[in-house]
Amino acid sequence: MVNKVKVNLKLNGERFSAEIDPRMLLCDFIRDVAGLTGTHIGCMTGNCGACTVLMNGRTVKSCTILAAQANGSDITTIEGLSKGLELNPIQRAFHKRYAVQCGYCTPGMIITAHYLLSLGKTLSRQEIREHISGNLCRCTGYQNIIDAIEELLRDKGLLR
Amino acid sequence: MTLEYRWVGKPLARRDAYEKASGAAVYSSDLFPENALYVVAVRSGLPHARIKSIDVSEALKHHGVVAVYTHRDIPNNRYGVFVKDRPVLCDDRVRYVGDPVALVAAETREEAEEAAPLVRVDYEPLPAVTDPLKAMGEDSPRIHEGGNICRRTRITYGDVETSFSKADVVVENTYTTAAQIHAYLETEAGISYIDERGRITVVAGGQSPYRDREEICHTLGLPREKVRVITPHVGGAFGGKDEITVQIHLALVTLKTGRPARMVWSREESNIAGVKRHPSIVRMKTAASADGVLLANQTEIIFDTGAYASLGPAVLDVAIENCNGPYRIPNIDIKATLVYTNNMVASAFRGFGSPQVIFAIESQMDQLAERLGLDPLEIRLKNVVRKGDYGVFRNKLEGSVGIDKCLESLRNHPLWRRRGEYKGVQNHEWIRRGVGVAAAVKGYTLGALPDRGSVALELNADGGFTVRASSTEIGQGIIQSLTQLAADLLACSPEKVRVILADTGETPDTSVTSASRQLFLSGNALRIAAEKMLDLMRDVLAKATGDPKTSFRFSDGHAHTMKGEAIPYSAIHSMMAEGGVATYVEGVYEVPRTTPIPGSLEIPHLFYMYGATLALVEVNLLTGFVSVLRVVSAVDAGRVVNRQTFTGQVEGAVAQGIGYALMENPVIENGMMRTLNFSTYLIPSIKDVPEIEVVAVEDGEESGPFGAKGVGEIGIVSVAPAIANALYDAVGVRMLSIPMTPEKVYWLIKHRR
Repeated sequence: MVNKVKVNLKLNGERFSAEIDPRMLLCDFIRDVAGLTGTHIGCMTGNCGACTVLMNGRTVKSCTILAAQANGSDITTIEGLSKGLELNPIQRAFHKRYAVQCGYCTPGMIITAHYLLSLGKTLSRQEIREHISGNLCRCTGYQNIIDAIEELLRDKGLLR
Repeated sequence: MTLEYRWVGKPLARRDAYEKASGAAVYSSDLFPENALYVVAVRSGLPHARIKSIDVSEALKHHGVVAVYTHRDIPNNRYGVFVKDRPVLCDDRVRYVGDPVALVAAETREEAEEAAPLVRVDYEPLPAVTDPLKAMGEDSPRIHEGGNICRRTRITYGDVETSFSKADVVVENTYTTAAQIHAYLETEAGISYIDERGRITVVAGGQSPYRDREEICHTLGLPREKVRVITPHVGGAFGGKDEITVQIHLALVTLKTGRPARMVWSREESNIAGVKRHPSIVRMKTAASADGVLLANQTEIIFDTGAYASLGPAVLDVAIENCNGPYRIPNIDIKATLVYTNNMVASAFRGFGSPQVIFAIESQMDQLAERLGLDPLEIRLKNVVRKGDYGVFRNKLEGSVGIDKCLESLRNHPLWRRRGEYKGVQNHEWIRRGVGVAAAVKGYTLGALPDRGSVALELNADGGFTVRASSTEIGQGIIQSLTQLAADLLACSPEKVRVILADTGETPDTSVTSASRQLFLSGNALRIAAEKMLDLMRDVLAKATGDPKTSFRFSDGHAHTMKGEAIPYSAIHSMMAEGGVATYVEGVYEVPRTTPIPGSLEIPHLFYMYGATLALVEVNLLTGFVSVLRVVSAVDAGRVVNRQTFTGQVEGAVAQGIGYALMENPVIENGMMRTLNFSTYLIPSIKDVPEIEVVAVEDGEESGPFGAKGVGEIGIVSVAPAIANALYDAVGVRMLSIPMTPEKVYWLIKHRR
């Protein structure tokens, strides 16, 4: 057996700590240890983006970093955006615009969209595509995902 | 019954999307039962070998390992829907790299993964047969006892040879298509445990809880009452979870240990051991008269089903059925072979044998048009089947046939009408543009195979209803569609409808969720259940009020009497409860079907989906890179139940079609899968998918619930040939193989005359 390491971090605004196997990835820490299964795992190689979370306000693919590397950081997962079943505006837009089919990629996609909107930049439809291209979806053909994000930007007067 | 469309056709937001967007939706891979064992399969790693011995002793000694199982632990070690040729755990030999030889169950995933390589299997390597043409040869090493021909058939109508000799134009080509990996974002995954009634319970991503239960019972020798299969939200399926993946392995571990178990395939494992779309070779010779009337089509279809039959025999049937496109052709001759190789196992994938052959016939159609100097759309319209026509198998087309309307809608589309202008835009001298069209057909329902489904309906105390069905929610939106149908059928608001799906312990058997027909099947069963329910409600009301049974009108969750009284459904529930009347009914729908034609298993279908695709592409002459700028997909949709569900299905299918046509290139060398993850097996990202316009041609299907018909698969079927035809339009090269990778396109352009 390997020695355990202690990880302390802020998870969706609350302190969370656990003793873990040092080789544990952040995505497994979030899902298996913290029990927040909204963050999904699609590839474990950083290609699909299903495991995207916010780390200190920036998107990270949580399968590409060790939980121990996240020690002391502030992590936000999909569960941190909604209040229980009360959705935040991005989640509402995804729901309303049918940007969800099987829904497996959705949490990572919404976290990326959240980050994109948090930048406060004016963007075109093409630029939305660029920004979201690290998140794969196999069901929707992406049309409604772009529409949802476009609508959010338009509401903020940030659509070019 | 007269129906008011209040909810059907409305773009209501999907109720399951709410919990999916919140992160609260639970998938099989999100379940972490207490005290669970983690299960890892030891896979062969060799394409073909004889197993001389299996030694699990070292693996058993590893820290945390609780058990290691082999074929000796399986009472009936063969399963499969059409041919029981697939071992749960291999015994005498392995037939592809993903074949499971042993299962390791350990306290943690790490311990199970560490112990897996300690299982010592002594193999005698056998020659790997990976070329389907060689596998068909008499002298080829045999993969199964009965040889390498899994299925072979020939279906002939009319006389092709005479037609060829009389025809004004004959086009002949050989087309090849690669395998396609489903690449659902959630890999094959599940858990198992013993439920409160002592049943071995498997919760796994799947498409058919009842059939999965049959396979578990059959292989492990268990009675049905002892096994329960539940399918929660599935993170994508597209046919790839139609058959067994983790279910039997999980049930075995829980059966033997009494403990919960968890098994989640890695992406690499999914790419190796998950099923694929059949790679194909299609030789086609097509004849037409000078005015573009199709005279004959001769087709030889070879589908590589890999190591096991899986659903291949039925996939081959669908290929046979669709290789003539949506056309009237009097003379046809089809030879079709399903061949075993030591490649990955091929089975169901959206389109189910149709995309391969439609790529061929729709490429042929453009070549015929060019040779005859005809417009590609007009030659298609000239030959398409119409309702009431007889199809190529002399089958009367009694269901809705909307292919003419699909093609007409594309003919009127600006992208087609002004294609010259679109083509003329040339931003760089090394860029060329082209526009291509292709038509599509695919049967829905299980064709001539018996198919029936039950849906249960219960009136709840609050005046709402619970719908129970074993359909699975794989992303297609069946929960929402059933909700909207139920709301209209029962005259209540959608909020009052609760839908419980896919649990053999809780829901009746609604058959498999496949063949684009779950809305058709469960929608019709629901309609029958709703009729029974309303009848039951009328009985109770008549007794309570003394009014005649037929006098009640239902709307907005109330029964309205002749006297103008409005009785809420909750009060009807109370009447039932007081009167000791059951509040539960079941509707059973038997899908109408035809008799199979000689030489087939399940064709022809009685019901067909039709569609047509228009694509604008840009080709880079320097790199061979083809980008799709625009797609218009016209779909014969029947009546659309939920507009967003419908367009979402088609857009997703088109995106998969673009991947299939251009990018998705599984590299399999001597039976070894080299493209193991998304870094090498590229699926379309948001940057690869252009704006997609979906045109619904609403030609109602009388047999469907509210005139609805299947739509799930049709959007993918003609994407590849539309792109190939657009490529030809752009640069004058005819691509006969997909995926149309940049290197293939580059060399074709380089060598063009």
